[in-house]
Amino acid sequence: MIDQILKRLLISIPVLFGVLLLGFGLLILVPGDPAIVMAGPTATPEVVAAIREEMGLDDPVLVQFGKYLGRVLQGDLGRSLISNKTVVSELAAAIGPTAELMFACLIWSVPLGIGLGTLAAVWRGSILDRAIMAISVAGVSLPIFFICLMMIQFLGVQWRLLPFIGRGGPLWTIDGLRHIALPALSLGAIFIGPVARITRSSVLEVLKLDHVRTARAKGLSERRVILGHGLRNALIPVVTLIGLQVGYLLGGAVVTESIFSFPGIGRLAVGAILSSDFPLAQGTILILAVGFILINMIVDILYVLLDPRVQA
Amino acid sequence: MTVADAQILDAPQPIAIWWRRLLQDPAALIALMILGGVALCAAAAPLIAPHDPFASSRAVMQPPVWAAKGDWVHPLGTDGQGRDMLSRLFYGTRLTLIIGLVSVGIGGAFGSLMGLLAAFRPGLDPWIMRCADVMLSFPAILLGLAFVAVMGPGALPVVVALAVATVPDCARIARSVAVSVMQQDYVEAGRAVGLSDLALFSRYLLRNCISSIMIFISLRFGQIILIGAALSFLGLGARPPTAELGMMAAQGRDFLLFAPHIAIIPSVLIFVMVLAANVLGDALRDVLDPRLRS
Repeated sequence: MIDQILKRLLISIPVLFGVLLLGFGLLILVPGDPAIVMAGPTATPEVVAAIREEMGLDDPVLVQFGKYLGRVLQGDLGRSLISNKTVVSELAAAIGPTAELMFACLIWSVPLGIGLGTLAAVWRGSILDRAIMAISVAGVSLPIFFICLMMIQFLGVQWRLLPFIGRGGPLWTIDGLRHIALPALSLGAIFIGPVARITRSSVLEVLKLDHVRTARAKGLSERRVILGHGLRNALIPVVTLIGLQVGYLLGGAVVTESIFSFPGIGRLAVGAILSSDFPLAQGTILILAVGFILINMIVDILYVLLDPRVQA
Repeated sequence: MTVADAQILDAPQPIAIWWRRLLQDPAALIALMILGGVALCAAAAPLIAPHDPFASSRAVMQPPVWAAKGDWVHPLGTDGQGRDMLSRLFYGTRLTLIIGLVSVGIGGAFGSLMGLLAAFRPGLDPWIMRCADVMLSFPAILLGLAFVAVMGPGALPVVVALAVATVPDCARIARSVAVSVMQQDYVEAGRAVGLSDLALFSRYLLRNCISSIMIFISLRFGQIILIGAALSFLGLGARPPTAELGMMAAQGRDFLLFAPHIAIIPSVLIFVMVLAANVLGDALRDVLDPRLRS
């Protein structure tokens, strides 16, 4: 098992290297003088010269990449051109809210998706099955911004049930919960469909297996067969496939955070790009990529822990 | 020639069978008609648009014809700058579809080529697939943000990002199908009779993999449209004054209270298009490749 996990960690190294290459590439590829881009259009020539010196822009590209790696590994991502705070401190402030949003979204959408998918599989071919599958196809076809706008329009503006701007505080406070409700509902809404579909096909697969037939043959109630023998084994592929959908969720989070002015990484990234705050944009993209890779790694490791067959 | 041989010769071409089966599925038929209709309207936008999509007028935020104050001059009303919604919708759909088609086309072609090559030349396989794995580590939205950060907001970086995002998935699908095709006897037979690599690749491998690849691409198309529209909604995609459905929805956001139609109509159109693409993709999968049926 340790072998498997170590192997997984080793595989991540070239990918992380790829991410750093991307971050560096962003700087090289951006049109114009990178020093001016990093310093901002209003910087004095002295500042630009200092940055030019620090980044080693007159060095060969490989040396520049080495210097870039050194800076990133020391946690130096530059300063935001707009707020003049360090990029690292901006990122640190935004990571918590994004993690909260992801958590608040998954906590309701994953159980609901798994429940709906199991129901659909158990009553395969019934009207219930068709209805659940139709809802899940409709769910993956809805633009996330439309769901957000409708949430704001009805739950926020017309019925005045919940606030729809910003973050109210940490998740464990009442105000924090109230503020995160609409973004988490919107983001979860696009995630139920994929989870339900994956669960359905996984449960159907497992219900065909011998051990389920044995459980039925020894006279267990259908409920115990499904919950104890079917769903339990079906959940293993569901975990991995949910991991594969993290990218999809990330896209939703960027839009959701922007619409609800929720101060997470996604909104920070969009704001930085739109205001040409290059150092901050570069930092947010780096952190999003690293986060995505870490989540996928955790999911893979979870898979090893859950499925005894992989450990062999 | 026996009776059985004659029947085989008379049997309809596979394409005809696929079509017939596809058209027997009512959901697929409706989806096909919707997509066809939308594509036609988009292609004919300059001919059928009743107004100039970029010309503002004094009739600001006019409601659609079915609302109390609507009229037939602007059947779908006007937006916040008094531009005709219907005309903008035709042009917007055009751009949205072009962005989706071009990126899926380029990304799909590159990805398929990578996957097929990996199966055809097993020596290249590990290199190509590791490359695809690294690319897979960057979700579409992240690539979108990165390309826009470098190139500035616009339709081009969005297309590039979406194309790049399509490559690794498509490569994986193409490779998995191609590997099983390469193990078939007829490929061996083709080699035995001395077909060139190029002929083997194009006539045997490509032709037998293309249907699975097409299914994947059609299932992918809806997602690509959604991500492209989301980027435009955020202001990272197509630039004003061009019309793009996601951007139109974003422009309607400020008028949600007084003129909800400005945001709702383009959003619903995106939903209908993506839903039709997804339904059609599912139906295609059932018809072309029953093995993939979930």
